[in-house]
Amino acid sequence: MDTATVPVRVVLAKVGLDGHDRGIKVVARALRDAGMHVIYAGLWQTPEAVVRAAADEDADWVGLSLLSGAHLTLVPRVVDLLREAGLGHVRVMVGGIIPEDDVPKLHAMGVARIFGPGTPLDEIVGYLRDNVGTRDA
Amino acid sequence: MHDALLARFRQGDRLALSRLLTLVARGESVEAILAGVGPPAKPVRVVAVTGSGGVGKSTLVGKLIETARAAGRTVAVLACDPQSPLSGGALLGDRFRMPARPDDAGVFIRSLAAAGGQGALAEHLDAVIRLVESFGFDVILLETVGAGQGDTVVRDLVDVLVLLLQPETGDDLQWEKAGLFEVADRIVVHKADLPGADRVEAQVKTSLGLTAGLDVPVFRVSSRTGAGLAELFASIEAAPLRRGVARSPRELLRRAQQLMTRRFAERQNDPALRDVLARWERGEMESVAALLEALATT
Repeated sequence: MDTATVPVRVVLAKVGLDGHDRGIKVVARALRDAGMHVIYAGLWQTPEAVVRAAADEDADWVGLSLLSGAHLTLVPRVVDLLREAGLGHVRVMVGGIIPEDDVPKLHAMGVARIFGPGTPLDEIVGYLRDNVGTRDA
Repeated sequence: MHDALLARFRQGDRLALSRLLTLVARGESVEAILAGVGPPAKPVRVVAVTGSGGVGKSTLVGKLIETARAAGRTVAVLACDPQSPLSGGALLGDRFRMPARPDDAGVFIRSLAAAGGQGALAEHLDAVIRLVESFGFDVILLETVGAGQGDTVVRDLVDVLVLLLQPETGDDLQWEKAGLFEVADRIVVHKADLPGADRVEAQVKTSLGLTAGLDVPVFRVSSRTGAGLAELFASIEAAPLRRGVARSPRELLRRAQQLMTRRFAERQNDPALRDVLARWERGEMESVAALLEALATT
């Protein structure tokens, strides 16, 4: 099959105590409409549940949305658990309210990309499409 | 060419299962992969949970996972949701309504996008089921939206088909129209803690009684209170393993349908198809003519 028609698989989740899910829902719909398979987790997920989903769903991407301020605690937890689970190839993106000073910290922890408020949806779609990792098999 | 993955699969590596499922669901190297994993070591019970949207399929599946785990069974769930025939995209949200413990290796949950629309069946579902069977789970729960023909197709792929109904879903003629009862092995009146469940149960039983020999067990189940769950699971486990019967014309038609769906998916960017779609969108063609021309491009 033509590789252009192979759907990108994305797990989208909000981790921790954070009730703001409008942003992640808008992104979920945009990715779906761009032909991706979105495994939508919604609110109040634990890092462990997100990583288990990434494993069972064979995800290419994990997208975390945080508006709670807990990103420096929760995001590295997800990244570390992914590595421990043998899922180092799964890329992590973060959306939400991330202070500028924290952006390089998250990158250093292994986050591929951070999308702040007002990011055009086309930018997210294009970025995911262009950056699906290749795997051994 | 997937030797390393297949070797890991045979050693029980669930990441290998997950990866191979992606390939098979996509129709890639299906024959080679199925040959590589070999037949299941023991018989696996495949159970479809089907019913209209909102009837509580995911919630019930979540409860059945708990019940099965408490009985010492390992469980794999295949949750099918529709995929857009145009973009190929899908929003798969079922697994998070099934609060399995993330550290429980005895539960595997996979979301599948069902191409097509009619008959909410994920492409290559039979191959997907065989792959999961070979991995060695005791029970496979297949969650799928369906009505009428879709359910008929599902029935051929599973041992037990559980049809979900709920209170306040219309009068008893509704069941006759849908023609669902002939394909169901077990009928569940779900949300049985709500008023009207007893009435629906009575209607279903009356309806079943209109056909001689149609003896389908009916259960009232509440996922909220847990009432009826143990009885339902015991009955599912007592049902005979039905699969593996002779080939059917229906099966061949199902494959033809799959083939058409796949061809359209592969040709999303085909200039001839795009041209037909554009002309129809501009109102230059009648719908039927556009459909026939679109078919001709495959």
